[in-house]
Amino acid sequence: MKAGLLVVVVAAISLEATSIIQYIYSQRAIQQEASLRAESELESAENRIMDVVDQAEAAVRNSVWVAQWCLESPDSIQRIPQRVVSENPVVVGSTMALVPGYSEKYPLYAPYAARDMKTGEIRMLSLATEEYDYPSMEWFTKPLELQDSYWSEPYFDENGGDILMTTFSMPIKDKDGTIAAILTADISLDWLSELVDDMMVYPKAFNMIVSRSGQIMVCPVETLVMHKTIDQFAMESDNYEGLNFVNEAMLSGQSGEIPVRYKGQTNHVYFSPVERTGWSLSIVIPESVLYSGVRRVSVIVKLLQLLGLIMLMVILRVLAKNQFKYYTLNEQKKRMENELHIASEIQMAMIPKTFPPFPERKDIDMAAAIIPAKEVGGDLYDFFIRDEKLFFCIGDVSGKGIPASLVMAVTRSLFRAMSAHEDNPAKIVTLMNETMSDDNKSNMFVTFFCGVLDLAKGQLHYCNAGHNPPMILTDAIRMLPIEPNVPLGILKGMEFVEQETSFNYDDALFLYTDGLSEAENITQEQFGESRIEAALHGRKRSDVHLKNIEQKVAQFVGEAPQSDDLTMLFIHYLGHGSKNTQRLTLHNDIKQIALLPEFVDAVTGQVKIEPLDIANLNLALEEAVANVISYAYPEGTDGLVTIDACVEGSKVTFVITDSGKAFDPTAKEELDITAGVEERPIGGLGIHLVRTIMDTVSYERKEEQNILTITKTY
Amino acid sequence: MEVNTSRENNTITVHFSGRMDTPGAQEITPQMNALAEEADKTIILDCTDLSYISSSGLRIFLTLRKAALDKGGKIIVRNICDSIRSVFMMTGFLNLFEVHSAK
Repeated sequence: MKAGLLVVVVAAISLEATSIIQYIYSQRAIQQEASLRAESELESAENRIMDVVDQAEAAVRNSVWVAQWCLESPDSIQRIPQRVVSENPVVVGSTMALVPGYSEKYPLYAPYAARDMKTGEIRMLSLATEEYDYPSMEWFTKPLELQDSYWSEPYFDENGGDILMTTFSMPIKDKDGTIAAILTADISLDWLSELVDDMMVYPKAFNMIVSRSGQIMVCPVETLVMHKTIDQFAMESDNYEGLNFVNEAMLSGQSGEIPVRYKGQTNHVYFSPVERTGWSLSIVIPESVLYSGVRRVSVIVKLLQLLGLIMLMVILRVLAKNQFKYYTLNEQKKRMENELHIASEIQMAMIPKTFPPFPERKDIDMAAAIIPAKEVGGDLYDFFIRDEKLFFCIGDVSGKGIPASLVMAVTRSLFRAMSAHEDNPAKIVTLMNETMSDDNKSNMFVTFFCGVLDLAKGQLHYCNAGHNPPMILTDAIRMLPIEPNVPLGILKGMEFVEQETSFNYDDALFLYTDGLSEAENITQEQFGESRIEAALHGRKRSDVHLKNIEQKVAQFVGEAPQSDDLTMLFIHYLGHGSKNTQRLTLHNDIKQIALLPEFVDAVTGQVKIEPLDIANLNLALEEAVANVISYAYPEGTDGLVTIDACVEGSKVTFVITDSGKAFDPTAKEELDITAGVEERPIGGLGIHLVRTIMDTVSYERKEEQNILTITKTY
Repeated sequence: MEVNTSRENNTITVHFSGRMDTPGAQEITPQMNALAEEADKTIILDCTDLSYISSSGLRIFLTLRKAALDKGGKIIVRNICDSIRSVFMMTGFLNLFEVHSAK
């Protein structure tokens, strides 16, 4: 998110920089264009003014020779101004004023021709009145003083009808070269404002014309016209210095362009002098007007930029969101994995996992294990005892993952439900199949083996549904004969076949899933049935058997990953057997010796033996077993000692078997019981007692086992 | 397996009750080894309530007997049942111990 903001900020800065540069260049271009336009407007306005000025001047100059001639006869003088006015439409008034005292007849003489602005009629007036006092007028004194033609300052003419005018005056000399009269031509300045109206180059721009003395002749504020000088205006403004600078430049007859601040905004003043008249013509353009176009463009550009930035922001947000989505997807995956883990734990909690499962029972010794592959799988086993019958099953759901584990859970529940009241495994399996193949859209199936073992009689009823055959361990190890049938969930209406076999004491059944037989090593060789069979040799406690197989398969597989669940169930039957044969299996724990008296009582229960003999028999057996427990297995390792007792008539036989290291107790020397205290060795008493009590004591080493057989006939 | 020891003058009476089988003998071995240190005294092994003895028990008796021989003490086995007597006979222990019957 921070990176996104940075991108937007950088984009904004670079966009702003380009727009500033663009703005500056546009401003320059606009300024150049504005000054060009202003210059050309000023020039054309000047031309038009000059045109009028020229006409007025020409009107006077063309009459000079006539005027000189008329000096001879002053009465004819009045025809001169009349002619100047009538022949020149730009001239609104004209006079030929005699220098006082020049003519004896007329000490003051100034006939004036005026054009009536309304009727166009030309009236003749005289300026030689007391009120007017023409010899003091500027238009009269200046040319006289300069001895040259002169353009007067603009003024309001009261006689001629309150119009703003200016006067061109020209001295008229007589033959002697003395200035005798002043000939004038008045021009109205009303057209000037019309003229400058045409000069409007920009809206809100305005024009000004000032006279050489700074009198404002044309200006949009009419109250200023002819009432104020630009100097006064500057003094009353908020920027005297700036305006004064412009004023001075204008009044000194320069042309140019000066920016000046007035009332808070910058105005560009373009100015140029009008020749001969001493006027200065100017165009004032407020900067806001000048740059309004470029400002509008820049506002539009800014808006576009903002839009672009917003879009960029949105895009970045969307991208970030996607990234967040990706992140949450990852999170979800993790959570899913976690949930799978929990699912697998729940799954494992469904199956019996406490071993030994029936510690109070001596007729059954069971162990089971599921080694799950990486994800939750579909292997299952289950067992329970009802009505002295052991119900057990093992199964493998096709496929892996959650679907398989769900089917596994359903299968297990169905097994429990169907076997709650039904003892026949074929019926249990058939009922399960009915439910599972009903509307089986997922096409998942389960290979399943179900068995019911009558613990009292040793009768095993079983039914197979496509599962691999279990191993049966009697005198030899072989596969349990099975009907293959078909797995559960495939064929509705399928009748599963029941099979049976009988178990004797110490027989065992080993059930497993193909995760064991098909466990592969790195070279993709499978563990196979023969290795399973080899691992099952020798009778051990069920959990020891499973540990052993687990180790062997782990050794075999090595580094190769486990691809399938591996499930094993070992059922060791210790119940029903031949009447006169009994077995006791002990761990290599000396405390287990305490189990012997009861066992001996059970064995000898069928024989008539004196209590003293029973005590001795017990002693002999204890000595033999204690020997094995103490010496056969290395300390700290788990080992088993089995005692098979057989009573044939009055002969009692004990066969003590262990899988420990070879040890022959009969090899011990006979003990000299007549020796004195000093000579008596501490050891050797045990085997001596065995020898003394029993009739025969024989040892043999067979199939990695120590077998000690002791007999006694009563 | 229970052992109760009582002392009177120079005599220690050890009263056994229960079965002195292999685990039983193992259980009391440390106690008996300590007793062997005092084998210069008279030690009465009271077997009135002992119902069974295995070779491990016999070894304890023999160890005490050897200690008494070393230290000049005396071991008296008192009141053994028939089965233990038979074991004593089979092992020649009747020759090694002074066995007293009754109180």
